[in-house]
This record gives sequence, structure tokens and C-alpha cells, in this order.
Amino acid sequence: MAVKVLIVEDNPVARSFLCRVVRESFSDVIAITESGDLESARRQISLTGGAQGLHGVDPFKLLLVDLELPDGNGMELLAELSQYPATKIVTTLYSDDDHLFPALQCGADGYLLKEDRFEVLVEELQKIVRGQPPLSPAIARRLLMHFRPGGSGEAAPADSGFSSAGSFQSSRPVPIEKPLDHERLTPRESEVLTYLSKGFTIKEIASLMGIKWFTVNDHIKSIYKKLNVSSRAEAAVLASKQGLV
Amino acid sequence: MAPRDTPDPSAAAPQPKVARATAAVDGLDAAGARRRPAGLVAMLQRSWLPQRGLVVVALLGCLGLFLLARLLAQQPYIDATWRVESVEVVELVSSPLPALRALSGGHLTRIDGRDDAAIDVDADLLQRSPRWSVDDASRQHQMTLQQRLSTMLGQGAVTLQFADGRQADVQPLPRGFAGLGAFFWLLGAAALALGLVAAAVLMAHPQPRNLPYAVIGLCQGLNLLAIGIETLPGLGLPQSYAPHGLLARMAFDLCSAAAMVHLSTLQPRRLPAGRWISAAAWGAAALLLALTARQALPQAWWWTQAVMLGCGALTLLLMTWSYRLEPNPFARLMRRLAAAATATLLLLSAAVAVASGQDGLVQDDAAVSSVIWYLFLSTLVLLLPMFSRMQPLMRELALLAGTSTVATSLDLLFVATFSLGAFASLSLSVFFALVVYASTRRWLLQPMSGQQVPGAERMFERLYRVLREVEARPDDSAALLTRLLRELFEPLEVRTLAQPSTRSRVLGDGSALLVPLPIIDADHERAAEGSIVLRFAERGTRMFSRDDARLTDRVVEQLRRAVAYDKAVERGRSEERARIAQDLHDDIGARLLTLMYKAPSPEVEDYIRHTLKDLKTLTRGLASSDQRLSHAAAEWKTDIAQRLGAAQIELSWTFSFDRDVVLGVVQWSALTRVLRELVSNAIQHSCATHLEVSATLEGGRLRLTLADDGIGRKPQDWSHGLGLGGVRKRVKLLGGDVQWRENGRTGIVCTVVVPELGGRH
Repeated sequence: MAVKVLIVEDNPVARSFLCRVVRESFSDVIAITESGDLESARRQISLTGGAQGLHGVDPFKLLLVDLELPDGNGMELLAELSQYPATKIVTTLYSDDDHLFPALQCGADGYLLKEDRFEVLVEELQKIVRGQPPLSPAIARRLLMHFRPGGSGEAAPADSGFSSAGSFQSSRPVPIEKPLDHERLTPRESEVLTYLSKGFTIKEIASLMGIKWFTVNDHIKSIYKKLNVSSRAEAAVLASKQGLV
Repeated sequence: MAPRDTPDPSAAAPQPKVARATAAVDGLDAAGARRRPAGLVAMLQRSWLPQRGLVVVALLGCLGLFLLARLLAQQPYIDATWRVESVEVVELVSSPLPALRALSGGHLTRIDGRDDAAIDVDADLLQRSPRWSVDDASRQHQMTLQQRLSTMLGQGAVTLQFADGRQADVQPLPRGFAGLGAFFWLLGAAALALGLVAAAVLMAHPQPRNLPYAVIGLCQGLNLLAIGIETLPGLGLPQSYAPHGLLARMAFDLCSAAAMVHLSTLQPRRLPAGRWISAAAWGAAALLLALTARQALPQAWWWTQAVMLGCGALTLLLMTWSYRLEPNPFARLMRRLAAAATATLLLLSAAVAVASGQDGLVQDDAAVSSVIWYLFLSTLVLLLPMFSRMQPLMRELALLAGTSTVATSLDLLFVATFSLGAFASLSLSVFFALVVYASTRRWLLQPMSGQQVPGAERMFERLYRVLREVEARPDDSAALLTRLLRELFEPLEVRTLAQPSTRSRVLGDGSALLVPLPIIDADHERAAEGSIVLRFAERGTRMFSRDDARLTDRVVEQLRRAVAYDKAVERGRSEERARIAQDLHDDIGARLLTLMYKAPSPEVEDYIRHTLKDLKTLTRGLASSDQRLSHAAAEWKTDIAQRLGAAQIELSWTFSFDRDVVLGVVQWSALTRVLRELVSNAIQHSCATHLEVSATLEGGRLRLTLADDGIGRKPQDWSHGLGLGGVRKRVKLLGGDVQWRENGRTGIVCTVVVPELGGRH
């Protein structure tokens, strides 16, 4: 049975380019569905069982979503599909953390930079699907701040000018509720993040920490998951506060 | 006890005194600024707001005044106006009584009462203020006359005998409220005001050190009431007043004088040995009173004046001493006020002493001038707590009262000593009084206004300069404001309190000014909260006034506006830049991307990719603000590692810096593009297997080297195309220098040196 892939991208040239990337990346038989905007993407998804991916219909296994779409931002779709059982990847021209971090919070499993070379994209896509998502230093910094006790990534400015260890002290109000385990990073995970934020490669981190490179990768994957979960929990808290739920 | 013999206190003041002044600030730390202002006067913060207690006191005072008026209104009197012709002759000027109306112009010689009681009339009958009779005998005579007269009036009808043989039977009638005369009510109101101010000071700050002031206020209030009783129109004093008036008024005077000394040992600062000094003053006053009460003291008037003048002089000395210990402008003000009061008292005493024994007309003048002196003193007492906050009008009023005292005293003196005519002496005395007014006005009010007033131009210049600096460095606004205030007011001491306040206000007795630290940066949540306290304006020679507080508030407001304006401009600019960046990125970026996908050859594709990356760097530089070097370095490394990895080139990367500087947008994008270009160069042309990138930042000097082991040689022969030309241009933009050398046997070393990195460009 063919693996179903949905590519949401408004630029036809880029779309066909991404199709080539996807086909190149996997040896399976691929059935690619393309859509140029959010609306048609939603339609396609509802044909295959809706946002929850239920009904036993064959859902998409891989979603490539562009962030800048004519009828909205790809993040909206990602947020709707938070329960959808597929690997969700953001494709974008923006490589800065201001654009990427929110997408990751919405549940993206990774991101591809559209200007990268064909081979690089293929490699990156394979890595993401295998569970080795990319993590740039800027995003690592944002993650560190997001998981910092008492602070969420949004509350603190990305670069407050006080990011040396000195300001992470106890003068901040201590949160009344203890953060749940899934909202906290293990010491190893924070260590990995700290190295990543300093620009070390995964290989370098593995040798610095004396572990295998795929263990580093596992940490990164787990961080992604925690970000997703904690973001969703945060959103739920926010929604219940605003009386939306 | 007397002040030490150092030259000029104000000249010696600044440096050494500051330390001591700091030590002496007891009331001004956190809680203190609100609860215990440094000086006497009290009311400032909490309290002109009517306190309940004050209202009660006011009601009680009114009630007391009313009861007194009622008591006086019931006393019998003879409603007639008299004039002293000479020592022996008292002339009836006019009277509404039918029995006396026809006798206007007659000279009264004798008053007969019931039971053969009678008094021989002379000018002393109209002298009802024994306190200001110099001579013991004449004072006794006056008191006897008044006592007998009031007894006779109390018993019923009296017969007035006139020189020309005519006589009139007069039935003394109760005065009624109308018969008290306007002057009595005026004095009553003034006395009430004094009592209220004394009560308010005491209530706002119930501390022992404010007690002497309350005593002075109370004594002067009672003094005014006594004068009011003595100057009631018509013949006849209240029966109960006549025998005790003298002693009461002496008591009020002496108590005021002793309390003044006491006050000056406590305020504005407690003086060492102050207890003994004030005890001595009180002792002298009490002794004198006791002796007078027993009539054991000859020349009582002289003694009283001597003690009062002595207390005045002592106050002067104490204030001078206090000012040397701590240059509090309030001490200066008190010294000058005490000097004014004492000098006028001296003049008055001299005038009265000279005039005593002259004919009755002069005696009358003596009484009037003493009344004016009391009014002067009362206004001073009344204004003392409010000096820093009162209106100029009130100050002028006080000065006017003082000038009038001088004028009447001089008039008296001239008439008595030089036997000048009434008109000549009056005009002369007015002239001299005006001279005194003109020459002392500035001197007296200088602690209030100061010589300063920097002039609109200089003031504007300072304000403008600080505004510019605040705009440039909003984070330092507190320090800059402090500096501006320092320049404006030249205080001896500036300190910061953690306590926030809402607006500027004068603290204590005008010795300190509390200025709220403005929350200039509204976006900044951590904005400093607190206040600045300035003490002792103009190196302790001037008091803060409400005008100063108002001025400060305006200055702060202007600062805030300037910063807000600047922020708005900056926000507008960055929004505009972000919009441009967004457009560039979305439109041009999307087109370049399409172009790249359709590129006919890998070279073109790479070229376009490079362009696209440059565009992204450019737009990011436009949209983002400053970056830290460490963050930027991490990104450079990741980027370079990825690109070299794709090209199968090994990277070794070292980056060390002694200080994590903040890169401006220009620096960041220039360095990013230089690095990208150099790495691209290595990837495309060098055929290297290894690239060593190392950077060091030491003392702001950045040194960046890229060494490859490729095939490049003879860099001097290279033609500098778009790429290397761009590198040169950007390094030059950073104020640095770039060089290419051969790297040992194989490869090229490129060295970029930027002498000054960090800070803002």
C-alpha cells in the first residue's frame, strides 16, 4: 500500500521540487497529494478521516506544510492537527527562531529550509522521519528559556541582555504549582540543549558528554515531544482561563 | 555654648559637613520619610487635610472665644470716647449716651461712685496696659485706678465731674456684643488662628520637640486676647481682669521667650547641652514671674525686657551654633526671624523707655506700638511652620507688620527724644522704616528664595542637555535626573529611597525635597521605583519651597515626555524596518526561490542560493535588534559546519572572547556575510580537506582567521571579484583590515582584524 503524503505549498515550482525531494527520500511507493492553500488541505484531511485521524481510513503519514500560505499561516493547520497521527514538517524560507519556534510549539516534528540544496533537503527529511529533527542554536536557546522553571518562552524576551547564568536566580516568583514531569527537562536534556545553543554539532556533543550520537538524538526527540506536550498543556490552561473550554 | 570661632559658616559648610549631615539624618530612611520629617513642622505631609481632632480643637476654640465675649459683654462700662490732652487732662470726645452727649469737649476731673468711692482722673485712667508702663509707681497707679473704676462701675451709677463744673450721672450698662468693638474680634480671630496652628503642629507630630512651639503659639494667642480686652472701647475694664492683667501678660511674654530658647535647642536639631540651656531660660522666666507676683522686684519692666531680649539673643546664638553643626537652611531662617523679632523688640523697648515720663499723648503711642509689635510677633509665629509652603502674600504681610513696628517705634522715639512735631516725626519714621524694609527684606527672605534662580536661559540649557542624554540612555534616567536636580538646587546631600512616591513634595521644614523617581520607561516592567531625597538646598543656605516641588514635577514630566516621544519614534522606525524586511523577504525571497529551483546549472543555483542567503541576512538585520556575539558565533558555527559537512570538508572551530559584547545590526550582518563569503570561497575554489576557523576577542579587538589546506596560492595575484571585494568592503565598514597569505606549504590563511568591536555603531 502506498504511503500517503500531503504537501501544502502555494508555489507550484516549490511544490514540485518538494515532491521530488519526498520521492527521492523514501524507497516506498508514495502517493502524494498536493494542495495550494489551507482550505484545500483541510478538505483533503477530512477526506481521510478528519483532524483526529480516526475511522480507520488510511491517513496521511507525512505532512509538509508551508508557513506562508495565501489563506493563512500553516501553523493554524498544525494546531488543528495536533492529534493527527502523521509526521508533520514545516517547510519555510524563514530560518530564524521567531518563526520556527511557534511552529514547533504547534506540534511540528521538524522543519526544512526551502533554500537548502536538494541533497541536503533529502537528508534532512530522512533524518526527521527517522526521528533526528534539526535544532538550531537559536531554537535551542528558546527551548532552554521555555523550560526554565517559572518562565515560559513567551514571557521572557528572547534576548533580554541578561541571559548569563546570573539572572536565572530565585528573584523570579516561584510558580505555585510544581511543574509536571513532562514539562521539565531532565538534566541530560538540558545539557544537550545548552551545547546545541552554543553551536556544537551532535557528534561533538556526543563526545563531550561521552554518549553515543543517537542517544543525543533521543534526547532531542524527547525535547521536541515535551515542547509539544507542554505547549498543548499551556494552551489548554490558557483556553480554560479565557473560558473557551 | 557659644558657637566655635570658625570663619564664615556658609563658606565652611560644604565638604566636611556633608558627612556629619549624613550621620544626622535620622528621620529620612525608609519609614522615616513619611512618618518623621526632619523638622519642626509637621503639617506638610499629612496634614492640611482636616483632621478630626483639629476640627474639635477649632470648635472648642470658637466656643471659648464666644464664652469670653459673652462674659465681657456682660461687664458694665461707660460708652464714650476720650482723649488725653496732657498728663492731667482727659477730654471727652464723643458719646452716644444722652447724659454725656452735651458734654463733648469737657475735661473729666473726677468720677464719683457709691459709698463715697471716687477717683481723681488723670491720663493714667486711659492707660490700661500696665505691662508696658516702665515706671513701677505709675504702673501701680494705673492698676489702682482701673481696679477702682471697675469696682465702681460694678456697683451701679456713677457721677462724672467735669472741669467746668458740669457733671453727669451715668448708669453703666453692659457692653453687649456690639460694644466689644471690631478690634477685639480681630484679635480674637488671630488668637484663635495661633492656637489652631499650635494644636495642628502638635497633633500632626505629637513629639516633645514640638511642644515649645505649641507653648509659644498658645502664649501669643492669649497675649492677643489680653490686648483685645485692654483695648475695649469706653471706660471700664472687666472686674476680674484688672488685678491680674499685668501678671498674665508678663507670664505670656516670659513663657514665649523661654519656649523660644527651648525650641531652638531642639529644632532643627537637638543641641548638646540644650537641656541645661533651656532649663536656665525657663528658670529665669519663672524666677522673674514669682518675684513680680510678690511685688518683690523693683523695676519689673526693665527686668522683663532684659530677660526677653536675652532670650532673643540666646536664640540667635543657638541657631548660629546649630547651623554650624548642620547647615540646615531652617536654622538660618529661624536665626533671621529671631534677629528681626529681637531687633524690633529692642527698638520698641528703647522707644518706650525714652517715652516714659513724657506726657500722656506719647504714652498712648507707646501702647499702640507695643500692640503692633505683638501682631508682628504673632504673624511670625503663625508663619513659622508654613514658611516653605506659604504664599508670598503672607510673607509680605509679616514683613509689613514688622515694618509698622519699626515705624511706630521710631515715631515714638523721635517724638520723645527730639520733641519733633507729630507730622515731622511721622514722615521721618515712615521714611526710616521703609529704608529698613528695603534693606532687610532680601536678607530675611533669602533663605526662602535664594540668590540662585539660575536664570531661564541656563535652566533651559541644563534641562535640554539632560533631556538629550535621557533620550540617548533611558536606562540612566534616574542618575541623570539626580544630576539635574543637583545642578538646579545644589543640595548638600542626595540620597535615594526605595519607597515610591507619587509627586514631589517639600519635607520637614523645607530642609528636604522628596522627588519620585519617574517610571520613565513605561514598557520596562523593572523600572526603578523609589524616590530621591535632596537635603539642604544651595549648600544649606536655602529652604525648599512648594515652587521648587512644582518645578521638579514639571521637569520630571518633561523628561518622561521626551523619553516617550523618543520611544515612539524608535518604535515607528523599527516597525517600518520590519515591514520593509518582510516585503523583501516574502516577495524577492519567493521569486529567488522559484528562480533557484529552475536554475539551469548547479553554479547558477548556488549563486542564487548565496544571494538568497544574503537577502535573508539583510532582512533579518533590518528586522531584528542587537545580538550577542556568543549567540551569533553559535549560529555561524552551525551554519558553517553544515555547509562544510555537505562539501566534505573538515572544520575545526575555536572561538574565544574575554567579554560577550553586543553586536549592532550592522556589525552582525557584516560579520555574517564576511564569514559566509570566505567559507564559500574555500568550498568553491580551494579544494581543501580541512578548514580551520579561529576567532579571538580581546579587549574589543576581534581577530578572525580562516586557514585552509587547499590549492590556493599567491593571493596577491588574485583578481578580486564580487565576492572578495564584498569581503573587503564589509571589513572596512567595520573599521578593520583583511589580509590573505599563503598558509605554509598548502593553502591560504585569511586574517580579518577588527580593532573595535562591540558597542554601538
